[in-house]
Amino acid sequence: MLKYLLKRAALTVPTFIALMFVTFVAIRLVPGDPVEVRVGERGISPERLAQFRHELGLDQPVWKQFLDYMWQLLHGDFGTSLATNQKVLTEFATLFPATLELGVAAMLFAVLLGIPAGAIAGVKRGSWYDQFLMGFSVTGYSMPIFWWGLLLIMFVGERWGLTPVSGRIDLIQYYFEPVTGFMTIDAWLSGQPGALKDALRHLILPAIVLGTIPLAVIARMTRSAMLEVLSEDYVRTARAKGLSAWRVVGLHALRNALIPVVTVIGLQVGTLMAGAVLTETIFSWPGVGKWLIESISRRDYPALQGGVMLVSTLVILVNLGVDVLYGVINPRIRHG
Amino acid sequence: MAEIAVRLPESGVPPSPAGAFWAAFRENRGAVIGLAVVVFIALLAIFAEWIAPYAPNEQFRDAVKVVPVWAEGGSWRFILGTDSLGRDMLSRLIFGARISLFIGLSVMSVSFVIGVLLGLASASLGNAVDVVITRLMDLIMAVPSLVLAILVVAVLGPSLTNTIVAVTIVYLPRYVRLVRASALAELGKDYVVAAKVAGVRGWRLMFATVLPNCLAPLIVQAALGVSDAILEAAALGFLGLGAQPPIAEWGTMLADAREFIRSNPWLVTLPGLAILITVVSINLAGDGLRDALDPKMRRS
Repeated sequence: MLKYLLKRAALTVPTFIALMFVTFVAIRLVPGDPVEVRVGERGISPERLAQFRHELGLDQPVWKQFLDYMWQLLHGDFGTSLATNQKVLTEFATLFPATLELGVAAMLFAVLLGIPAGAIAGVKRGSWYDQFLMGFSVTGYSMPIFWWGLLLIMFVGERWGLTPVSGRIDLIQYYFEPVTGFMTIDAWLSGQPGALKDALRHLILPAIVLGTIPLAVIARMTRSAMLEVLSEDYVRTARAKGLSAWRVVGLHALRNALIPVVTVIGLQVGTLMAGAVLTETIFSWPGVGKWLIESISRRDYPALQGGVMLVSTLVILVNLGVDVLYGVINPRIRHG
Repeated sequence: MAEIAVRLPESGVPPSPAGAFWAAFRENRGAVIGLAVVVFIALLAIFAEWIAPYAPNEQFRDAVKVVPVWAEGGSWRFILGTDSLGRDMLSRLIFGARISLFIGLSVMSVSFVIGVLLGLASASLGNAVDVVITRLMDLIMAVPSLVLAILVVAVLGPSLTNTIVAVTIVYLPRYVRLVRASALAELGKDYVVAAKVAGVRGWRLMFATVLPNCLAPLIVQAALGVSDAILEAAALGFLGLGAQPPIAEWGTMLADAREFIRSNPWLVTLPGLAILITVVSINLAGDGLRDALDPKMRRS
């Protein structure tokens, strides 16, 4: 097991080096001189300019710059934002809980709804419910989620006035120091009456929007896994033993059907990050995705570079975790 | 287990491959509807100049933000209403179909060709080439799709061409991996060994012998890839990083309409509906294609 784990982890090292290289090259291809961006319109004397270049290490040979960049990254230095002059890692760490909270809520929505819906469709194959769900699923994973978000804002938020349409909480009414960075937990901890409810009301629409594609994928995957499992011998045996339909489906079939579903859930992390960029932009959700988009419009390339690096690192690590987990669940993989 | 239906025609002559394919495709009602809609949208896109009532960027100063004909205050002059600059929505949506299909097809064909070349090179040359290509594709897959596309656009600058470049880079790994995996599987089979014994070597072996047998999953991937590319490009357009105004691209139109979400909800509803209908139809047709081309990949 340890050998498998180490082997799998070692495989990500070249990916990381390549990732560093790509972000390093990308930032240098960006039109505009980083020094001039920092100096601004007025311009400064050539001596000061040379000094700036020296401070930023831009007078060094390119290979040396790359090694320095790698060295910095390995020490957790992901650069400094031009806009706020803060460390990119610090900014990322402040914003990330918001994205994580949104992502967790979206995944809960997708899993809690998707698995039962898909399992029932698998059991009742060919029924009107099954056909409806499959139609729903195709629509779900074809959904332009930025439009879906606008529709929900238009109807649920504006017309019916059921939920707020931007931010994480009503900042005028509630204020408390962040403890965990999760607004719902912090609101609950603050003990202010109504704060938790308000945080949840802010969370629900973005979570539905972000969870829609995973929901469609999970429901579909659960359905086909269920179909496959239901024709297995052990399910027939369980039926023959005279077990109730509930026990057969719930205990024998669903548990085995969930193995591929778990992998699919893990692989949705990348989709979630991509979706978070759109969802956070639409709902003014102060997370990592919105920050990435804003750093483009501010031409804050160090923030963009560091942000992409951090987001990708996270996705690589989660995928590694999923692979390892899959090896634990399914011994055939790790010995293969 | 899927039951295997063998239906021989009355004449007793087995159907041609195309006939067999169509018979299998026709069984899937969703796929046929999807295909019909795709064909309809494609015709709209091709003959946009003749079908659209107005030019996409023609402004009617006397008719700004007109509602569609079925809403109160709408008129037959602008069936789907006009946008904030008085441009006819129906015409813009029809021309938008051209842009979206163009993006989808360009991304698909470019990544198809490059994917086949890299995938076959990876499978046949092995060693260092294989490692480099596989690692590179792993890297691209590690960066969330939209984030990578944003990075590419940030470097190249936002435009229609760069949208195509960015989305192609994002979806390339799927083709490369698919080609590589199927080619590796085929390379071990007897007919390939026989071809090698007969003296077939190098590119000829890969293109003439191996590739035709990898095509079925690749065609399915290509069909579904068109819809993914359309969605991704629309998302970039929505973020202001895709096709730039005044181009009538659906995502860009949605971004323009955002501020009128209260005053004229139709401006938001219609472009999104156009994206959704197009993507759903392509996906339905693609699913049917998969079921018909490769019974092993059937999802139920």
